[in-house]
Amino acid sequence: MFRVSYKPSTSHWLFPPIILGILALLLAVMIAQRAIECRRKGRPFINREAMRFFEPGCDKLKLFGSVALFVLYIYAMEFAGFLASSIVVVFLYSVLFFGVDRLKELPAAIASGRPWANGAFKSVCVSLLLSVLFSTSVWFLFARVFKITLP
Amino acid sequence: MIDFGLLHLLMAFVGVVVGIVFGALPGMTATMAIAVFLPLTYAYDLHVSLFLLLGLYVGGISGGLVPAILVNIPGTPSSICTGFDGYPMAKRGEAVRALRIGITASLFGGLFSLLLLFLFTPPLARVALSFSSVEKFLIILFALSIIAALSKGNMVTGVFAGFLGVFFSLIGQFADNNKMRMVPDFLSVDLRNGFQLLPVLIGLFALVQILQEAEGGMRDDAMGADLSREVRGFRFSDFKGQVVNLFRSAFIGTFVGILPGVGGSAASLLSYSQAKNFSGRPEKYGTGCVDGLVASEAANNGLTGGALIPLLSLGIPGDSTTAVLVGAFMLQGVQVGPLFITNNLDLWHVILSALLLCNFLMFFVMFYPIKYIASVIKLPKYRIFPVIILLCVIGAYSSRNGNMFDVWTMLFFGLLGYFFVKIKLPIVPFLIGFILGKDLEKYFVDSIKGVGGSLSVFFTRPMGWVIWGLIVASIAWAVYDSKREARRAAAGNGGAQA
Repeated sequence: MFRVSYKPSTSHWLFPPIILGILALLLAVMIAQRAIECRRKGRPFINREAMRFFEPGCDKLKLFGSVALFVLYIYAMEFAGFLASSIVVVFLYSVLFFGVDRLKELPAAIASGRPWANGAFKSVCVSLLLSVLFSTSVWFLFARVFKITLP
Repeated sequence: MIDFGLLHLLMAFVGVVVGIVFGALPGMTATMAIAVFLPLTYAYDLHVSLFLLLGLYVGGISGGLVPAILVNIPGTPSSICTGFDGYPMAKRGEAVRALRIGITASLFGGLFSLLLLFLFTPPLARVALSFSSVEKFLIILFALSIIAALSKGNMVTGVFAGFLGVFFSLIGQFADNNKMRMVPDFLSVDLRNGFQLLPVLIGLFALVQILQEAEGGMRDDAMGADLSREVRGFRFSDFKGQVVNLFRSAFIGTFVGILPGVGGSAASLLSYSQAKNFSGRPEKYGTGCVDGLVASEAANNGLTGGALIPLLSLGIPGDSTTAVLVGAFMLQGVQVGPLFITNNLDLWHVILSALLLCNFLMFFVMFYPIKYIASVIKLPKYRIFPVIILLCVIGAYSSRNGNMFDVWTMLFFGLLGYFFVKIKLPIVPFLIGFILGKDLEKYFVDSIKGVGGSLSVFFTRPMGWVIWGLIVASIAWAVYDSKREARRAAAGNGGAQA
């Protein structure tokens, strides 16, 4: 029992099963601990009502939008290169994080003839300016000054 | 003789300033700062890069006191107790005084831990040099057992996360026989060498944070204290009667830093509670007492040197930030461990000098212009996070000199880390397990292959027995501490219900 079979040709499969065994054991202990605690407190083992993955008031648009934009960014870099895709994606991220719902204010702000008085319009313009400025600066710094390979 | 010039000074300055900004922004940490700026190390040699990275480290830890004192939100987990007394001081018109007391205590903590780093790392490394693969395996096991000891209330979960990290590190080719395992055919090229450390840690520390902030709606917290109103200014005489507190707190911070996986929040909490226990006026704590502020800040900066001791002597990262520093060393082909100082004496001197310089730079950069630096907490997150994402992508992409698979890896680990947070699986033990996993396997196989697979080899050497003793002691302590915490919690609930 206090010996493991070691063969150089199969040694790559020696350690992973040990770690999997430890993980299975720890998982069993975690489940047992939870079962004991639930029993002591008189709670069901799986309490669907108390189980929630997202926090109350979770901003799902910003959360899933962030992931979707990231995937878009990876594909965009393959097709459009780093600089162009970064400008677009950084701008979209800024708008997403600022609040997409505030874009509704833009048509009325433009129609009023004094768009600068509107906070959302100003923010979108600043986001656009900063996305160009930041992306170009980062691209210049890394790709041109430090000669780091970028997509 | 170390190479030092204007570029080194400039990099340390940039590192400290950027680190302070990262530390001062709630939700951004020193770990994130280092992870994001790692790609810059490709452009420079390791000496110059270390001035930048250690500047980010010191600045990132120190900057956390700004929002803790001004808005009662710790900028980093390590400044969790700073706001307990700093914020009440700021509310009564002593914001600048509180900030300067915190900055001075931080400098003391940083310098104290640097001294301990200088004194204790070489002898510890010398002891570790006599270790065979058996002791090396057991030392890594000990590091993982400490994770258990410190995952209060969820010890088994912490160990599970650590071993899950080990499991993920095993994916790819095994160096001994060059055979692949646990890799689907279509990823056999990309995953030949397993998951790269840099995309993994950027995903776990930067992307997870961004996803959590996005989930919370990316809300910005308003400025709390008014810096223009100053009732009482700072004087160095504020530290009268704080000498014992300074030394004790800096020592606690350094000691906690040495223990792998503990983190700055534990250093801050432990030091604060000890200062309160030893104080003759514990009732003053939490009301704007200088002692509490000094305890928290001296301890969290004490962490900086402490966390480097196990990294540079044993190759075990003391906290998440030093785990990221391992990435910087790996990228430059430098192996951290017992032979680090012997083989890289110049690098060892660079680390000491850079830490010394960065601590003083942090003091001068923060102490005088603190009123202006404090305004960084007004920067809106929706402007900063898109740029962070940009830097994360560069970091991941350039980790193997241009590989889009590493960007996907970063996204995968970002989502995995977010899932871990949701199911309350700690990320730091996972990362430490991931970093140490390959060595754990290597030393295990090296230990048993010379003795025909007999596991008794792990119980034959005297030093091995000592490490086994430490492992058993740390697990026993973890069990005892976990039960004590549970009893305290139950008593607290009982009291609350009564």
